[in-house]
Amino acid sequence: MSDMAKSIVFAVCMCIVLALLLTTAATALQPRQQQNMEINRKKNVLLAVDLVSRDQRYTAEEITALYNEKIVLFGATQTGAIVEGDRVNDEPVLPIYLYIENGTIQAYIVPIETKGVWGMISGYLAIENDGSTVRGFTITRHSETPGLGGEIERQWFQENFEGKRIIDRHGTFVSVRVARGEVERQVPEEDRPHYVDGISGATLTGKLLSDGLKQVLYRYEPISIRFRDNRIEMPAG
Amino acid sequence: MKLTRTKSFKAFAEPAWTNNPINMQMLGICSALAVTIQLKTAFVMTLAMIFVITGSSLIISLMRKIIPGNIRIIVELGVIASLVILTDEFLRAYYYEISRLLSVFVGLIITNCIILGRTEGFAMSNPPHLAVMDGLGNGAGYGSVLLSVAFLRELFGSGSIFGYFVIPQSFYDAGYENMGFMLLAPAAFIIIGLMAWLQKYITGTGEEDR
Repeated sequence: MSDMAKSIVFAVCMCIVLALLLTTAATALQPRQQQNMEINRKKNVLLAVDLVSRDQRYTAEEITALYNEKIVLFGATQTGAIVEGDRVNDEPVLPIYLYIENGTIQAYIVPIETKGVWGMISGYLAIENDGSTVRGFTITRHSETPGLGGEIERQWFQENFEGKRIIDRHGTFVSVRVARGEVERQVPEEDRPHYVDGISGATLTGKLLSDGLKQVLYRYEPISIRFRDNRIEMPAG
Repeated sequence: MKLTRTKSFKAFAEPAWTNNPINMQMLGICSALAVTIQLKTAFVMTLAMIFVITGSSLIISLMRKIIPGNIRIIVELGVIASLVILTDEFLRAYYYEISRLLSVFVGLIITNCIILGRTEGFAMSNPPHLAVMDGLGNGAGYGSVLLSVAFLRELFGSGSIFGYFVIPQSFYDAGYENMGFMLLAPAAFIIIGLMAWLQKYITGTGEEDR
Protein backbone atom coordinates (compact mmCIF):
# COMPACT_ATOMS: atom_id res chain seq x y z
CA MET A 1 0.00 0.00 0.00
CA SER A 2 1.33 3.42 -0.87
CA ASP A 3 2.08 5.92 1.88
CA MET A 4 -0.78 8.07 0.75
CA ALA A 5 -3.33 5.25 0.98
CA LYS A 6 -1.96 4.24 4.37
CA SER A 7 -2.38 7.78 5.69
CA ILE A 8 -5.95 7.97 4.43
CA VAL A 9 -6.89 4.61 5.96
CA PHE A 10 -5.32 5.64 9.26
CA ALA A 11 -7.10 8.98 9.25
CA VAL A 12 -10.48 7.40 8.50
CA CYS A 13 -10.04 4.77 11.24
CA MET A 14 -9.03 7.43 13.74
CA CYS A 15 -11.99 9.63 12.87
CA ILE A 16 -14.41 6.72 13.35
CA VAL A 17 -12.92 5.71 16.70
CA LEU A 18 -12.84 9.28 18.05
CA ALA A 19 -16.32 10.09 16.75
CA LEU A 20 -17.76 6.98 18.40
CA LEU A 21 -15.99 7.75 21.65
CA LEU A 22 -17.15 11.36 21.81
CA THR A 23 -20.70 10.54 20.76
CA THR A 24 -20.96 7.89 23.46
CA ALA A 25 -19.62 10.26 26.10
CA ALA A 26 -21.82 13.16 25.03
CA THR A 27 -24.97 11.03 24.89
CA ALA A 28 -24.29 9.30 28.18
CA LEU A 29 -23.60 12.53 30.05
CA GLN A 30 -26.33 14.63 28.44
CA PRO A 31 -29.15 13.88 30.92
CA ARG A 32 -26.93 14.89 33.82
CA GLN A 33 -25.78 18.06 32.08
CA GLN A 34 -29.32 19.07 31.25
CA GLN A 35 -30.37 18.43 34.82
CA ASN A 36 -27.52 20.68 35.99
CA MET A 37 -28.62 23.42 33.65
CA GLU A 38 -32.21 23.12 34.83
CA ILE A 39 -31.12 23.35 38.48
CA ASN A 40 -28.96 26.32 37.60
CA ARG A 41 -31.92 28.02 35.92
CA LYS A 42 -34.15 27.43 38.94
CA LYS A 43 -31.42 28.63 41.26
CA ASN A 44 -31.12 31.85 39.30
CA VAL A 45 -34.86 32.47 39.44
CA LEU A 46 -34.65 31.99 43.21
CA LEU A 47 -31.58 34.24 43.38
CA ALA A 48 -33.44 37.02 41.59
CA VAL A 49 -36.07 37.14 44.33
CA ASP A 50 -33.47 36.64 47.05
CA LEU A 51 -34.81 33.27 48.23
CA VAL A 52 -31.33 31.76 48.10
CA SER A 53 -28.04 33.44 48.89
CA ARG A 54 -25.07 33.66 46.57
CA ASP A 55 -22.65 32.78 49.35
CA GLN A 56 -24.23 29.49 50.28
CA ARG A 57 -24.26 26.09 48.64
CA TYR A 58 -27.49 24.22 48.01
CA THR A 59 -28.22 20.68 46.96
CA ALA A 60 -30.25 20.06 43.83
CA GLU A 61 -33.11 18.76 46.01
CA GLU A 62 -33.20 21.93 48.12
CA ILE A 63 -33.34 24.12 45.03
CA THR A 64 -36.08 22.04 43.41
CA ALA A 65 -38.15 21.89 46.60
CA LEU A 66 -37.91 25.64 47.19
CA TYR A 67 -38.65 26.40 43.55
CA ASN A 68 -41.70 24.13 43.42
CA GLU A 69 -43.02 25.62 46.63
CA LYS A 70 -42.67 29.34 45.85
CA ILE A 71 -42.35 29.89 42.11
CA VAL A 72 -45.04 29.42 39.46
CA LEU A 73 -44.67 30.09 35.75
CA PHE A 74 -47.54 31.93 34.07
CA GLY A 75 -48.06 33.94 30.91
CA ALA A 76 -48.68 37.66 30.59
CA THR A 77 -50.94 38.89 27.78
CA GLN A 78 -50.56 42.20 25.97
CA THR A 79 -53.27 43.73 28.10
CA GLY A 80 -51.46 42.68 31.25
CA ALA A 81 -53.60 39.74 32.27
CA ILE A 82 -52.01 36.71 33.89
CA VAL A 83 -52.97 33.48 32.21
CA GLU A 84 -52.02 29.83 32.33
CA GLY A 85 -50.35 28.16 29.40
CA ASP A 86 -48.25 29.85 26.75
CA ARG A 87 -50.94 30.88 24.23
CA VAL A 88 -54.19 32.85 24.38
CA ASN A 89 -56.42 32.98 21.27
CA ASP A 90 -53.41 31.69 19.34
CA GLU A 91 -51.33 34.68 20.43
CA PRO A 92 -48.14 33.81 22.26
CA VAL A 93 -47.92 35.27 25.77
CA LEU A 94 -44.84 36.52 27.64
CA PRO A 95 -43.48 34.11 30.23
CA ILE A 96 -43.66 35.51 33.75
CA TYR A 97 -42.62 33.82 36.98
CA LEU A 98 -44.55 34.67 40.12
CA TYR A 99 -43.08 34.39 43.58
CA ILE A 100 -46.04 33.47 45.76
CA GLU A 101 -45.92 33.37 49.55
CA ASN A 102 -49.03 32.59 51.63
CA GLY A 103 -51.28 33.00 48.61
CA THR A 104 -50.13 36.52 47.70
CA ILE A 105 -47.74 37.54 44.95
CA GLN A 106 -44.56 38.94 46.48
CA ALA A 107 -42.72 39.64 43.27
CA TYR A 108 -42.68 38.77 39.59
CA ILE A 109 -39.68 37.63 37.62
CA VAL A 110 -39.05 38.53 34.02
CA PRO A 111 -36.67 36.46 31.89
CA ILE A 112 -34.13 38.72 30.20
CA GLU A 113 -32.73 37.81 26.83
CA THR A 114 -30.70 40.47 25.09
CA LYS A 115 -27.84 41.09 22.73
CA GLY A 116 -24.37 41.42 24.21
CA VAL A 117 -21.08 42.25 22.58
CA TRP A 118 -20.20 38.69 21.55
CA GLY A 119 -23.44 36.81 22.04
CA MET A 120 -26.71 36.72 23.90
CA ILE A 121 -26.93 37.72 27.56
CA SER A 122 -29.61 35.84 29.50
CA GLY A 123 -30.79 36.41 33.01
CA TYR A 124 -33.72 37.18 35.28
CA LEU A 125 -34.96 40.45 36.69
CA ALA A 126 -37.31 40.32 39.65
CA ILE A 127 -39.64 43.22 40.41
CA GLU A 128 -41.50 43.73 43.68
CA ASN A 129 -45.29 43.51 43.69
CA ASP A 130 -45.43 47.33 43.63
CA GLY A 131 -44.57 47.00 39.93
CA SER A 132 -41.70 49.47 40.08
CA THR A 133 -38.89 48.40 42.44
CA VAL A 134 -36.24 45.93 41.31
CA ARG A 135 -35.91 43.10 43.78
CA GLY A 136 -32.96 41.37 42.20
CA PHE A 137 -31.10 40.59 39.02
CA THR A 138 -29.11 37.59 37.89
CA ILE A 139 -27.17 36.69 34.79
CA THR A 140 -27.39 33.04 33.77
CA ARG A 141 -25.45 33.04 30.56
CA HIS A 142 -23.28 35.41 28.59
CA SER A 143 -20.24 35.38 26.35
CA GLU A 144 -18.78 38.79 27.17
CA THR A 145 -15.02 39.28 27.33
CA PRO A 146 -13.68 37.73 30.56
CA GLY A 147 -12.38 40.45 32.87
CA LEU A 148 -14.21 43.26 31.04
CA GLY A 149 -17.84 42.75 30.05
CA GLY A 150 -17.62 39.35 31.76
CA GLU A 151 -17.72 41.22 35.07
CA ILE A 152 -21.51 41.37 34.70
CA GLU A 153 -21.57 37.92 36.28
CA ARG A 154 -19.98 39.32 39.44
CA GLN A 155 -21.99 39.54 42.62
CA TRP A 156 -21.46 43.29 43.15
CA PHE A 157 -22.76 44.12 39.70
CA GLN A 158 -25.89 42.03 40.06
CA GLU A 159 -26.60 43.23 43.61
CA ASN A 160 -26.23 46.73 42.23
CA PHE A 161 -29.74 46.46 40.80
CA GLU A 162 -31.51 45.83 44.10
CA GLY A 163 -33.87 48.63 45.09
CA LYS A 164 -33.59 50.50 41.80
CA ARG A 165 -36.82 51.82 40.29
CA ILE A 166 -38.06 51.34 36.75
CA ILE A 167 -40.39 54.37 36.86
CA ASP A 168 -39.56 57.97 37.72
CA ARG A 169 -41.25 60.24 40.26
CA HIS A 170 -44.08 61.04 37.87
CA GLY A 171 -44.78 57.37 37.24
CA THR A 172 -43.34 57.32 33.72
CA PHE A 173 -41.51 54.18 32.63
CA VAL A 174 -37.74 54.79 32.43
CA SER A 175 -36.24 51.30 32.93
CA VAL A 176 -32.91 50.76 34.70
CA ARG A 177 -29.68 51.75 32.99
CA VAL A 178 -26.06 50.85 33.53
CA ALA A 179 -24.12 54.07 34.14
CA ARG A 180 -20.73 54.80 32.64
CA GLY A 181 -18.68 54.46 35.80
CA GLU A 182 -19.95 55.09 39.29
CA VAL A 183 -23.50 56.33 39.71
CA GLU A 184 -22.57 58.76 42.47
CA ARG A 185 -20.12 60.58 40.25
CA GLN A 186 -21.73 60.34 36.85
CA VAL A 187 -25.45 60.64 37.36
CA PRO A 188 -27.43 63.67 38.63
CA GLU A 189 -29.07 63.04 41.96
CA GLU A 190 -32.67 62.83 40.74
CA ASP A 191 -31.80 60.09 38.23
CA ARG A 192 -29.80 57.90 40.59
CA PRO A 193 -32.66 55.51 41.44
CA HIS A 194 -32.68 54.41 37.80
CA TYR A 195 -28.95 53.83 37.34
CA VAL A 196 -26.55 51.12 38.49
CA ASP A 197 -22.75 51.31 38.68
CA GLY A 198 -21.10 50.39 35.40
CA ILE A 199 -17.98 48.35 34.71
CA SER A 200 -14.87 50.16 33.55
CA GLY A 201 -13.72 48.86 30.18
CA ALA A 202 -17.16 47.51 29.37
CA THR A 203 -19.07 50.52 28.11
CA LEU A 204 -20.58 48.65 25.19
CA THR A 205 -21.73 45.71 27.30
CA GLY A 206 -23.36 48.20 29.67
CA LYS A 207 -25.10 50.04 26.84
CA LEU A 208 -26.38 46.85 25.19
CA LEU A 209 -27.58 45.49 28.51
CA SER A 210 -29.34 48.78 29.31
CA ASP A 211 -31.08 48.82 25.92
CA GLY A 212 -32.02 45.17 26.25
CA LEU A 213 -33.48 45.65 29.73
CA LYS A 214 -35.50 48.61 28.51
CA GLN A 215 -36.90 46.65 25.57
CA VAL A 216 -37.83 43.66 27.68
CA LEU A 217 -39.32 45.72 30.50
CA TYR A 218 -41.27 47.79 27.99
CA ARG A 219 -42.95 44.65 26.72
CA TYR A 220 -43.90 43.81 30.31
CA GLU A 221 -45.21 47.31 31.03
CA PRO A 222 -48.92 46.33 30.75
CA ILE A 223 -48.51 43.86 33.57
CA SER A 224 -46.25 46.18 35.57
CA ILE A 225 -48.92 48.89 35.35
CA ARG A 226 -51.47 46.46 36.74
CA PHE A 227 -49.13 45.68 39.62
CA ARG A 228 -48.67 49.42 40.29
CA ASP A 229 -52.44 49.97 40.32
CA ASN A 230 -52.99 46.85 42.37
CA ARG A 231 -55.27 45.34 39.74
CA ILE A 232 -53.70 41.92 39.50
CA GLU A 233 -56.00 39.00 39.04
CA MET A 234 -54.78 35.48 39.37
CA PRO A 235 -56.01 33.01 36.79
CA ALA A 236 -58.74 30.76 38.08
CA GLY A 237 -57.61 27.52 39.64
CA MET B 1 20.60 2.05 40.24
CA LYS B 2 19.30 4.89 42.36
CA LEU B 3 15.76 6.10 41.73
CA THR B 4 16.94 9.56 40.78
CA ARG B 5 19.15 8.12 38.07
CA THR B 6 16.47 6.18 36.23
CA LYS B 7 15.28 7.34 32.86
CA SER B 8 11.68 7.49 34.11
CA PHE B 9 12.61 9.80 36.96
CA LYS B 10 14.51 12.01 34.61
CA ALA B 11 11.57 12.13 32.22
CA PHE B 12 9.40 13.27 35.13
CA ALA B 13 11.73 15.60 36.98
CA GLU B 14 13.12 17.52 34.08
CA PRO B 15 9.86 19.13 32.94
CA ALA B 16 8.55 19.35 36.51
CA TRP B 17 11.45 21.47 37.69
CA THR B 18 14.63 22.15 35.68
CA ASN B 19 12.85 22.63 32.38
CA ASN B 20 9.49 23.83 33.74
CA PRO B 21 7.14 24.55 30.83
CA ILE B 22 5.96 27.89 32.21
CA ASN B 23 8.92 29.28 34.14
CA MET B 24 11.67 28.06 31.85
CA GLN B 25 10.08 27.59 28.44
CA MET B 26 7.46 30.33 28.78
CA LEU B 27 4.69 28.12 27.37
CA GLY B 28 1.05 27.99 28.41
CA ILE B 29 1.12 31.52 29.81
CA CYS B 30 -2.31 32.44 28.46
CA SER B 31 -4.26 29.96 30.56
CA ALA B 32 -1.97 30.62 33.52
CA LEU B 33 -3.12 34.23 33.49
CA ALA B 34 -6.77 33.39 33.11
CA VAL B 35 -7.54 30.69 35.65
CA THR B 36 -5.35 31.74 38.57
CA ILE B 37 -7.65 34.22 40.30
CA GLN B 38 -8.83 31.46 42.63
CA LEU B 39 -7.11 28.30 43.83
CA LYS B 40 -10.22 26.24 43.13
CA THR B 41 -10.24 26.92 39.39
CA ALA B 42 -6.46 26.60 39.18
CA PHE B 43 -6.67 23.22 40.93
CA VAL B 44 -9.32 21.84 38.58
CA MET B 45 -7.44 23.24 35.59
CA THR B 46 -4.29 21.48 36.83
CA LEU B 47 -6.10 18.14 37.11
CA ALA B 48 -7.66 18.58 33.66
CA MET B 49 -4.30 19.47 32.20
CA ILE B 50 -2.52 16.50 33.83
CA PHE B 51 -5.22 14.18 32.52
CA VAL B 52 -5.05 15.52 28.98
CA ILE B 53 -1.27 15.73 28.68
CA THR B 54 -0.63 12.30 30.25
CA GLY B 55 -3.43 10.67 28.29
CA SER B 56 -2.41 12.12 24.96
CA SER B 57 1.27 11.33 25.56
CA LEU B 58 0.38 7.72 26.38
CA ILE B 59 -1.93 7.26 23.38
CA ILE B 60 0.46 8.88 20.92
CA SER B 61 3.39 6.91 22.30
CA LEU B 62 1.47 3.62 21.98
CA MET B 63 0.63 4.42 18.37
CA ARG B 64 3.93 6.06 17.49
CA LYS B 65 5.03 3.23 15.19
CA ILE B 66 1.85 3.16 13.13
CA ILE B 67 1.09 6.89 12.86
CA PRO B 68 1.93 7.94 9.28
CA GLY B 69 4.56 10.66 9.39
CA ASN B 70 2.83 13.01 6.98
CA ILE B 71 -0.35 13.34 9.07
CA ARG B 72 1.16 12.99 12.55
CA ILE B 73 0.41 16.53 13.74
CA ILE B 74 -3.27 16.26 12.85
CA VAL B 75 -3.42 12.85 14.55
CA GLU B 76 -1.85 14.33 17.67
CA LEU B 77 -4.31 17.21 17.63
CA GLY B 78 -7.22 14.83 17.11
CA VAL B 79 -6.26 12.82 20.19
CA ILE B 80 -5.68 15.95 22.30
CA ALA B 81 -8.93 17.57 21.21
CA SER B 82 -10.93 14.42 21.96
CA LEU B 83 -9.48 14.16 25.45
CA VAL B 84 -10.21 17.84 26.07
CA ILE B 85 -13.82 17.45 24.96
CA LEU B 86 -14.18 14.40 27.21
CA THR B 87 -12.85 16.43 30.14
CA ASP B 88 -15.18 19.31 29.37
CA GLU B 89 -18.23 17.05 29.09
CA PHE B 90 -17.29 15.31 32.33
CA LEU B 91 -16.90 18.59 34.21
CA ARG B 92 -20.21 19.88 32.90
CA ALA B 93 -21.95 16.72 34.06
CA TYR B 94 -20.34 16.34 37.50
CA TYR B 95 -18.79 19.69 38.50
CA TYR B 96 -21.15 22.17 36.89
CA GLU B 97 -20.27 25.18 39.05
CA ILE B 98 -16.55 24.81 38.41
CA SER B 99 -17.04 24.25 34.71
CA ARG B 100 -18.99 27.51 34.63
CA LEU B 101 -16.10 29.29 36.36
CA LEU B 102 -13.55 27.85 33.94
CA SER B 103 -15.86 28.69 31.01
CA VAL B 104 -13.91 28.49 27.76
CA PHE B 105 -10.56 27.69 29.31
CA VAL B 106 -11.09 23.94 29.52
CA GLY B 107 -11.82 23.89 25.82
CA LEU B 108 -8.77 26.02 25.20
CA ILE B 109 -6.49 23.34 26.68
CA ILE B 110 -6.40 22.14 23.08
CA THR B 111 -4.44 25.22 22.12
CA ASN B 112 -2.02 24.87 25.03
CA CYS B 113 1.25 24.50 23.19
CA ILE B 114 2.78 22.46 26.01
CA ILE B 115 0.68 19.43 25.07
CA LEU B 116 1.26 19.44 21.34
CA GLY B 117 4.91 20.17 22.04
CA ARG B 118 5.27 17.10 24.29
CA THR B 119 3.36 14.70 22.05
CA GLU B 120 5.32 15.82 18.98
CA GLY B 121 8.67 16.29 20.68
CA PHE B 122 8.68 13.42 23.16
CA ALA B 123 5.85 10.87 22.88
CA MET B 124 6.39 10.31 19.13
CA SER B 125 9.92 9.05 19.80
CA ASN B 126 9.76 7.42 23.24
CA PRO B 127 8.17 4.27 24.75
CA PRO B 128 4.86 4.61 26.66
CA HIS B 129 6.23 4.44 30.22
CA LEU B 130 8.61 7.34 29.57
CA ALA B 131 5.92 9.27 27.71
CA VAL B 132 3.58 8.93 30.70
CA MET B 133 6.29 10.14 33.08
CA ASP B 134 7.01 13.05 30.76
CA GLY B 135 3.31 13.91 30.61
CA LEU B 136 2.96 13.74 34.38
CA GLY B 137 6.10 15.82 34.81
CA ASN B 138 4.89 18.53 32.47
CA GLY B 139 1.47 18.48 34.07
CA ALA B 140 3.06 18.77 37.51
CA GLY B 141 5.38 21.54 36.35
CA TYR B 142 2.51 23.48 34.81
CA GLY B 143 0.24 22.80 37.77
CA SER B 144 2.75 23.79 40.42
CA VAL B 145 3.22 27.19 38.80
CA LEU B 146 -0.54 27.58 38.36
CA LEU B 147 -1.22 26.76 42.00
CA SER B 148 1.57 29.02 43.32
CA VAL B 149 0.32 31.95 41.26
CA ALA B 150 -3.29 31.25 42.28
CA PHE B 151 -2.25 30.99 45.94
CA LEU B 152 -0.64 34.43 45.87
CA ARG B 153 -3.42 36.02 43.84
CA GLU B 154 -6.24 34.63 45.96
CA LEU B 155 -4.47 35.39 49.23
CA PHE B 156 -3.63 38.99 48.43
CA GLY B 157 -6.49 39.69 46.05
CA SER B 158 -9.41 38.22 47.97
CA GLY B 159 -7.90 37.45 51.38
CA SER B 160 -8.86 33.79 51.11
CA ILE B 161 -7.40 30.35 50.37
CA PHE B 162 -9.62 27.84 48.55
CA GLY B 163 -12.51 30.18 49.32
CA TYR B 164 -11.89 30.24 53.09
CA PHE B 165 -11.15 33.68 54.44
CA VAL B 166 -7.80 33.62 56.22
CA ILE B 167 -7.03 37.29 56.81
CA PRO B 168 -8.44 38.10 60.25
CA GLN B 169 -11.07 40.82 60.52
CA SER B 170 -8.79 42.79 62.87
CA PHE B 171 -6.41 43.37 59.93
CA TYR B 172 -9.20 44.94 57.90
CA ASP B 173 -10.24 47.00 60.93
CA ALA B 174 -6.67 48.23 61.18
CA GLY B 175 -6.83 49.48 57.61
CA TYR B 176 -5.65 46.47 55.59
CA GLU B 177 -7.20 46.23 52.14
CA ASN B 178 -7.29 43.47 49.54
CA MET B 179 -5.17 44.25 46.51
CA GLY B 180 -7.62 44.67 43.66
CA PHE B 181 -4.71 44.57 41.24
CA MET B 182 -4.09 40.91 42.09
CA LEU B 183 -7.41 40.02 40.49
CA LEU B 184 -6.39 41.46 37.13
CA ALA B 185 -4.41 39.57 34.50
CA PRO B 186 -1.31 41.80 34.66
CA ALA B 187 -0.76 40.69 38.26
CA ALA B 188 -0.38 37.09 37.09
CA PHE B 189 2.10 38.28 34.50
CA ILE B 190 4.21 39.97 37.13
CA ILE B 191 4.08 37.01 39.50
CA ILE B 192 5.04 34.56 36.75
CA GLY B 193 7.87 36.87 35.75
CA LEU B 194 9.16 36.99 39.31
CA MET B 195 8.85 33.21 39.66
CA ALA B 196 10.72 32.63 36.40
CA TRP B 197 13.46 34.92 37.64
CA LEU B 198 13.58 33.15 41.01
CA GLN B 199 13.80 29.72 39.43
CA LYS B 200 16.49 30.75 36.98
CA TYR B 201 18.39 32.25 39.89
CA ILE B 202 18.13 29.05 41.97
CA THR B 203 18.95 26.64 39.17
CA GLY B 204 21.67 28.96 37.90
CA THR B 205 20.49 28.88 34.32
CA GLY B 206 20.11 32.02 32.32
CA GLU B 207 19.51 32.96 28.74
CA GLU B 208 23.25 33.26 28.08
CA ASP B 209 23.86 29.61 29.03
CA ARG B 210 21.65 28.28 26.29
